[in-house]
Amino acid sequence: MKLLALKANKTSIAITSPSQFTVSLTVLAYLVAAGPHLMAMPRWLALCILVISAWRVVTAWQRWRPPHWLIRTLVTFSALGAVLASYGTLWGRRAATALLCVMVAVKLMEMFRTRDARQIAALGFFLVAAQFLFSQQIALLPYLLIACGLATAAMLSVQADDDRRRHPDVVARQNEPLKSGGSDWSRHLKSGLVLLGLSIPFALVLFAVFPRLASPLWGIPENALDGRTGLSDEMSPGAIASLYADDSPAFRVEFEGQRPEQSDLYWRGPVLWHFNGTTWSRLISAHTETPRRPTGNNPPLQYSVQLEPNERRWLFTLDYPVEWSEEARLTRDYQLVRERPVTRLISYSVSSEPDFIDEPQLDPTLRRAALRLPEGQNPRTLELAADYRQEYADDRELINAVLRWFNEDAFFYSLETLPLGLNGADEFLFDLKTGYCEYYASAFAILMRAAGIPARIVTGYQGGFWQQSSEYLLVRQSDAHAWVEVWLQGRGWTRIDPTAAVSPTRILENARRALNDTPGWMGGRWAQNLRNQFDRVQHYWNQWVLGFNAARQNELFSRLGLDRLSGPLLAVVIVLLALLTVVPLAFLLRGLGQTRRVLTPDQRAWKRMIQKLKPFKLQPRRAETPLEFAERAAVKLNNGQRLINAARVYNQLRYAHSDNISESLRASLQQASRNWRPDPNPELLNSAPVIRVLLQRMTTRKPA
Amino acid sequence: MTEHASTAMSTVEPDRIEQLDQHLGNAIDAVNQVVLDKRDQIHLAFSALLAGGHLLVEDLPGVGKTTLAHAMAEVIGGQWHRIQFTSDLLPADILGVSIWSRQQEQFEFRPGPVFANVVLADEINRATPRTQSALLEAMAEGQVSIDSQTHQLPRPFFVIGTQNPLDLAGTYALPDSQLDRFLLKISLGYPDPSFERALLVEPDRRELLNQVTTQLNVDELIELIHLTNQLHISDPVLDYIQALVQATRTHPAIQAGLSPRAAIALVRVSRAFAKVSGMAYVLPDHVKHVFPALASHRLQCKPNAGQSDDVVGQILVNTPID
Repeated sequence: MKLLALKANKTSIAITSPSQFTVSLTVLAYLVAAGPHLMAMPRWLALCILVISAWRVVTAWQRWRPPHWLIRTLVTFSALGAVLASYGTLWGRRAATALLCVMVAVKLMEMFRTRDARQIAALGFFLVAAQFLFSQQIALLPYLLIACGLATAAMLSVQADDDRRRHPDVVARQNEPLKSGGSDWSRHLKSGLVLLGLSIPFALVLFAVFPRLASPLWGIPENALDGRTGLSDEMSPGAIASLYADDSPAFRVEFEGQRPEQSDLYWRGPVLWHFNGTTWSRLISAHTETPRRPTGNNPPLQYSVQLEPNERRWLFTLDYPVEWSEEARLTRDYQLVRERPVTRLISYSVSSEPDFIDEPQLDPTLRRAALRLPEGQNPRTLELAADYRQEYADDRELINAVLRWFNEDAFFYSLETLPLGLNGADEFLFDLKTGYCEYYASAFAILMRAAGIPARIVTGYQGGFWQQSSEYLLVRQSDAHAWVEVWLQGRGWTRIDPTAAVSPTRILENARRALNDTPGWMGGRWAQNLRNQFDRVQHYWNQWVLGFNAARQNELFSRLGLDRLSGPLLAVVIVLLALLTVVPLAFLLRGLGQTRRVLTPDQRAWKRMIQKLKPFKLQPRRAETPLEFAERAAVKLNNGQRLINAARVYNQLRYAHSDNISESLRASLQQASRNWRPDPNPELLNSAPVIRVLLQRMTTRKPA
Repeated sequence: MTEHASTAMSTVEPDRIEQLDQHLGNAIDAVNQVVLDKRDQIHLAFSALLAGGHLLVEDLPGVGKTTLAHAMAEVIGGQWHRIQFTSDLLPADILGVSIWSRQQEQFEFRPGPVFANVVLADEINRATPRTQSALLEAMAEGQVSIDSQTHQLPRPFFVIGTQNPLDLAGTYALPDSQLDRFLLKISLGYPDPSFERALLVEPDRRELLNQVTTQLNVDELIELIHLTNQLHISDPVLDYIQALVQATRTHPAIQAGLSPRAAIALVRVSRAFAKVSGMAYVLPDHVKHVFPALASHRLQCKPNAGQSDDVVGQILVNTPID
């Protein structure tokens, strides 16, 4: 019994428990930091975390006992099991972050010491950083900043608890009576945010100058971002329609010099040759060597594209790319394909020749591929093609006739379509006559092939939104489009857009307008405007933050003239730059602790005298009286007596009765302050004696 | 004492002040001659005297407590008594008794040793609490009540209590409330080797004490006490005093901070110390100097939170002076 009591007593001294307030703040900081992860994990797992958090807060306020270690161990292992059960693995980002969140929640159960609370607050920063593995959208930034602010506040609160309890001999701030409750919240939150704010200049400099590698040390794994999938490499009717509802950006384009017409903005993506009756897919063995012949009237288009991560390998270009910066391969059918999928924002510049003859002579193999149709399907379409063929011998006339038919007959452009069966082209052309771009492209291509004209489908994006002020083109997922290319003798592959024949608005403006769509007030014009404005911010974020790579950093350095510096010198410059941001920070911090007061002329005069001693590292200590300081400083000065005399005069001016103070006395202090030139005794000031004194102190130290 | 002083003098001639300061300086010097190497403690002792309070000297036997008290009594020139406290000392032994007078057919009060200008209460913590409180009450009231009769103690009335450190055997520790009766608590400590040599070589202290002459008569002392109370204390110094007192109240290691009465005492002692230092106004240095002697015996530290001396030192180091 006695032993137990002793032990309990000992623990209460040695271990500091966080206050109720600290516990609440730490739990809140954790929940906010883990918020995005909680949203992404299974509901029941998130609920468990919330329950544990709530339990911890209640425990703090009700002063319940910490759970038994056996219970804690059980919960830990069942949490491990829960993560395994819901993810099937502990590897991968989602599972690993879920495990981290859950384990921090379990850690909450044993957060009965300030040490644990500090760890949890620190893990909050880690959780915030982990979120960038999933999304680097600017919209997250303010949220995560708040999370960081809360975590900082929690750390401050833990520190305050430590100061208060573990070191009772450390004096709490004298002029600040210990507050509790409501004011603590605002105080810690405020200091947390202030600290965070003060660190921003430093972070910015580090961001700009920290060495960047051409390829990152660790890549974000493939299939990484919760991003949109974008265009598929296959096309079956309905696939693009699903993208129509997706308003997120696909890519952004900045043109150098000339901007093409809106109706020429066909962003080429996957080219589809093979039709199996329902689905169009790519030709696998497309040769790299492409016979081509520029016709060269118009100057080439120069533009750079910022492609959002989409998990696909296509780089979208205008017809026909001739030069590009990103490492990618151009296929024979002019798809620009990357080696690996785009998992993070990339930027590439392209030069395109708009006037071009693509394959003046069509390879017989390709010709066969471009004419192949599945057996026994769409009999009515085949019949129609035969009719047309009979009527028009010339390919171009035939095409024009079909387009005319599309335009003049009752064809409609709409999203409200039915899934088509095996004879999809028949159903569409003769019964429904209503559909989205892929219906038209597919039916048209089938019709062409049936009429003996080589045809292929190109998918990609069409059009885009011009940001008026920032001069870039925003292409959204909803701008996804499909069109047809037919091969004509003498002109090579020629783009035909059957949708344009049905609904010119789709091409001249955008799909929304073409569908005459008004999806409620949220989709109204002002919301659209707001979205466009927000996209501009996102654009700059992409350009200057996410896209700040080694190349851009070099560009910045060369603009600053730093590229001519050698390695070590550059390092020195970088350190200096970083210090530059820290120095004002230090001054700011110094100023925070002191309350600003209006000084009397006497005080100013005395302060000036003290200031002149700063170069010699002689400054008053926190609780030193003027006379004490003067006497201490005078020892190291040859003319120290003058300082002592001035301190006496200052004392009289400040502390004596006003009847005993004459103006001449006041003037004498002012004069002494002006004339004061400290004459330090070099023997006492240089560093050698300091070391000697230190050594002496170390050797003749009194037992405490 | 105050009412006496205020009726006697409302304004004092500067010459007179100078003369009084001179005499005070002489008195301090005279004590210094006898008690070697204890200038600081002597200044504090005179501060307690001028502030109208009492002094507690806590130290081991034989370091010069009695010599200090005796020397002070001699230079003041008033009547002085010494009471050696023992465990069988009774209140009547201190205060006095009423005995039957056959000539006057009534009880006559025979004043005890407490009726003197300077009383040396030696080893105060050896007596039983009952006897201790008899003295301490007299110290607080400035009068003695026996058999429903009140007897005024002489003015000025200055008690120097000495006590051995509490952990010595056979002592009754003074309770906190009674420690408060002593304005300052000082300890003397061992002398410096060179001064100790002087003690060994020079004639006996008791002989030196006999040579000490009166430097300051009782009336002059009363005048000085009054002047001390009027010494100028500026707002920044009062701010500092308040900050110090507040610091004792918020310090995590202290059970209960200083009371307003202690704050008033701090002002009085600071004034007295300024007077002893020969200044016409109080400096923060004075406050800083007297604070440990005033505060350390009034503050109780929480268990395991260290010594009150250390805490007081921390407060001084951490309280800024404006």
